[in-house]
Amino acid sequence: MSDNTMKAREIAKKLLQDGTVDLVLGWEKGDEPYVSAPTVIRDASETDRLVVDEYCIHDLAALLTDYRDSHDKIAIFAKGCDSRGIVRMIQDRVITRDRLYIIGLNCSGMKDPNEYARAASGMSKITPAKKATKCQSCQYPNPIIYDEILGELQQPGADNRFAEIEKIENMTPDEKYEFFSRELSKCIRCYACRNACVACNCRTCIFDETKPQWVGRATDTVNNMLYHIVRAMHVAGRCVECGECERACPAGVPLMLLNRKLIKDVDQLFGPYQAGLSLEGDAIPPLSRYRVDDPDEFM
Amino acid sequence: MKSFLKYLGIEPERYQLAWISGSEGQKFADVMAHVVAEVKKVGPNRKLREEHE
Repeated sequence: MSDNTMKAREIAKKLLQDGTVDLVLGWEKGDEPYVSAPTVIRDASETDRLVVDEYCIHDLAALLTDYRDSHDKIAIFAKGCDSRGIVRMIQDRVITRDRLYIIGLNCSGMKDPNEYARAASGMSKITPAKKATKCQSCQYPNPIIYDEILGELQQPGADNRFAEIEKIENMTPDEKYEFFSRELSKCIRCYACRNACVACNCRTCIFDETKPQWVGRATDTVNNMLYHIVRAMHVAGRCVECGECERACPAGVPLMLLNRKLIKDVDQLFGPYQAGLSLEGDAIPPLSRYRVDDPDEFM
Repeated sequence: MKSFLKYLGIEPERYQLAWISGSEGQKFADVMAHVVAEVKKVGPNRKLREEHE
């Protein structure tokens, strides 16, 4: 049992016992050794379920939308990426800071359970990576906001986040279209990307509306592309780059190629700006505020 | 958005956004003429559309 797990259980138990919080959002061990699934704990006697290990890859901040209408005080575990997600939720008025007790985890990178599941199935010869793809280029392994913190400070990974983007930018228009239509045709429209996303916190999602129906529901290449273009634009400037959409995707669509392009554009036009780094007044997402000297170029 | 469309390989000329008040009839006409001219330059769209027999 790891040190962090023990400490996490202790903290959760204390918080529930003394009534500081009504529930704890954390991870528990799943059916397989390589699965640590999100869990909700309301009773101090159940805190022994909690684990903090190298498979706690799920972003718990996305779960906060479930509690937007309740009055529960919530303790939530947060890695660097999750803490940016929490900032997203607070800025988007999903939840208020005073309802949260954030237990930060300095994160050295998580392992991708999907990769380990594939390896364990015997069907794949690829050796799973020590760090998930989304963790390899992580720039903020240490939580941005927290009430208390576990683990030692970690160094950010190599910043090659935009290398792929630049490669695509240098393709010809037909090559780009060919590339994206091929990748996005794999989408099965399960909306896992949307559900895992901290920026996708609208009460009613445009893709669920039927009157009018903004985007066709057929899983053909064109409607898939429209879905992903619209989604990327909707989270532009608010995407905290946690990479959860891409990880959650069962079809392996490289969704961060879309989001990173917009992160790059927003940073260049309105920046320097990285989403979810601060709760200060100035840190409002650039596309959510009005300025007379707006460059007008984004649209 | 234009930069994003370009990134996806779609001609950005096809997407134009303008703010025109209800009282600006001439501006509306000018913008529309400009849109048509730009789109004619890039030719028929073959992307982001389904081909029906």
